[in-house]
Amino acid sequence: MTAHDYLSIVQAAFATVSMSLVSIVLGVPLGLGLALIRWSRLPLLSRVTIVYVSIIRTCPSVTLALLIFFALPEVGISLDPVPAGILTLTLSTAAFNTEIWRSALMNFPRDQYDAALSFGMRRGLRFRRVVLPQIVRSSLPALVNEMTLQVKSTPAVAVLGIVEITRAAIRVGARTYQPLPPFIVALVLYSIIVFAFVRTQRVIERRYARADAG
Amino acid sequence: MQEIAGTRHPVSTAEHDERDVVLEVSGLSKSFDGNMVLRDISLKVHKGETVCVLGPSGSGKSTLLRCMNWLEEPDGGMVLLAGQRIGVRPGGNIRMTDRDLAAMRTRIGMVFQHFALWPHLTVRQNVMEAPVHVLKRNKAEVRQEVEALLVRVGLGDKMDSFPARLSGGQKQRVGIARSLAMKPDVILFDEPTSALDPELVGEVLAVMQGLARDGMTMVVVTHEMGFARDVASRIVFMDNGKSVETGSPEKFFAAPETDRARQFLMRYASRGH
Amino acid sequence: MNGFNIVWQHRDMIIGGFENTLMIVALAAIGSFTLGALLTIPLMSRHRGVASLATVYVDTMRCVPFLLFVYLIYFGLPSLGIQFDNWSSGVVALILYNTGYMAELLRAAWANLPKELIEAGHAFGFVGWGLFRRIILPPVLFSAIPLIGNQLIQIVKDSAFLTVIAVGELTHQATSLQTTYFVPFASFIAAVVLYWVTCVTIEGTVGFANRFAEARR
Repeated sequence: MTAHDYLSIVQAAFATVSMSLVSIVLGVPLGLGLALIRWSRLPLLSRVTIVYVSIIRTCPSVTLALLIFFALPEVGISLDPVPAGILTLTLSTAAFNTEIWRSALMNFPRDQYDAALSFGMRRGLRFRRVVLPQIVRSSLPALVNEMTLQVKSTPAVAVLGIVEITRAAIRVGARTYQPLPPFIVALVLYSIIVFAFVRTQRVIERRYARADAG
Repeated sequence: MQEIAGTRHPVSTAEHDERDVVLEVSGLSKSFDGNMVLRDISLKVHKGETVCVLGPSGSGKSTLLRCMNWLEEPDGGMVLLAGQRIGVRPGGNIRMTDRDLAAMRTRIGMVFQHFALWPHLTVRQNVMEAPVHVLKRNKAEVRQEVEALLVRVGLGDKMDSFPARLSGGQKQRVGIARSLAMKPDVILFDEPTSALDPELVGEVLAVMQGLARDGMTMVVVTHEMGFARDVASRIVFMDNGKSVETGSPEKFFAAPETDRARQFLMRYASRGH
Repeated sequence: MNGFNIVWQHRDMIIGGFENTLMIVALAAIGSFTLGALLTIPLMSRHRGVASLATVYVDTMRCVPFLLFVYLIYFGLPSLGIQFDNWSSGVVALILYNTGYMAELLRAAWANLPKELIEAGHAFGFVGWGLFRRIILPPVLFSAIPLIGNQLIQIVKDSAFLTVIAVGELTHQATSLQTTYFVPFASFIAAVVLYWVTCVTIEGTVGFANRFAEARR
């Protein structure tokens, strides 16, 4: 493998991680929105959310990616593979995040909410200043855990032929007739990135544990 | 098991030396994280005795007990079961193999503060488990003995229940039956009633009293002064890792010799034990 | 909607893929669970070296993306001299990968057992394999049932990755159907529904097993 090969794999790795990050940035607030819909018990939207979460959580990323990519043109939207991939990743992580946010909302101490009500806070203010900061704190470990899993599962969209780490490794392998080394490099590189996320996760968990104890 | 009249063994100091020494602790020392928990402590337990170990929290009572069956490894000193060293190979300083240690432990029963029943087994299975799978005894024989034991401790109707469904007092009685089923040379009791609701303490103490009456050799770490006064054949009072005072219960409770013992008893007397 | 008609016409493709998926998942589940349970022993060992090796294995599997791991096994086995067909390579990858996860979740359950439970085992003379099999393992399994269920669902989802090495599981067959008969997405809907049914069944069974286990915790 030449230096150029290594470089192309490194670039592809970062391209893949960028896709993960975009889907995370979109998926976390989307998950919160869906969790609020369920919390508010709006009749139709709640049901739809329940079904959506249930289906997406049991669906393999690969299958979902293929479904979205082939289904969208039927509805009139034709997406390039990369946006389709990001859409898949976002929908997927949003479904898991919904459950995380929901759990935090359900465990939110009722009396704090009542206190805010009794002080005459209006709904928007109530939510922003009382509920939101606390559920962010209590959800953070689980959200970061989900982010780690999300980064790890991004290569799934390789099935859509997006140029990223898997494709880069395959290309190098096809050129050198030695498929193994580029995949080993890709594997190691990607694992280091995931490991960095895991480390960050542990630091955050520890900091929040200390803050809770203090 | 011999029947001995009365609730307590009428043992005089002269008779002590003639009886078999079942368990002996000699010069035991142990520290945790730089704190000395046991300081050169020695003790002999004779056959048929009920030795109650009393003392304030942190005095090392539980650690002493747990060193007796090598659940804790002492830093110095010896533990002997009927003359055989536990934990260390005879003649040397080499640690015993796990297998040999396990074999010795089958002769020492233990009743735990938090019962330590195996949750995946029924009451009957809990009591049968060690005799069948460690001692490799005949299952049908063991079953008969175990059922009789469980009736004896008052749990004849709970044999097929799981521990999760039992009260604390019931669980502890199972724990005692579990030890009895192994026919040990001595049973160690680690604060057997400390984790129980007050109204359940009596049923467990009653069982223990029955064992003492039947001649079982017992070492009991407890805070139950009434039990110690009525059932013990000897009191060992510990403070700060040392055996501060020993003697018969009558003497200890009525006329303690050391200041420490006096302070300890005053505190407990004021609590109306 | 004539897409669904065509799918129904060629439903044996989908069903064949589904059966394959189920078989792959079953083998991977049994394999990874057994190996994971055995791996828990060195993971919890007192010997630093042994425990570290086991931990490295587990951490590696948890950091590595499964898709890349599949390719590694697929391209890597031949260079070790082992000639497996795609199907077997895929199952091997699934087993090796999930062994790490099973070991970790069983280790966590083991570490959360009340200390006294195991101490009682020691005090009554249990040692070695007997201690593990009769005293430690059953409570660990009962307490780990929900997590084992989640891992099973994960195995079902990971099985779809095997489509990239041309294993004829459900997603692969759905793709085949789509490209052969130009059905836009009906075949994928069928696949998604089947995955959903499978996972919900697993969740139901786990719930049932959990109730059985609760009396024994």
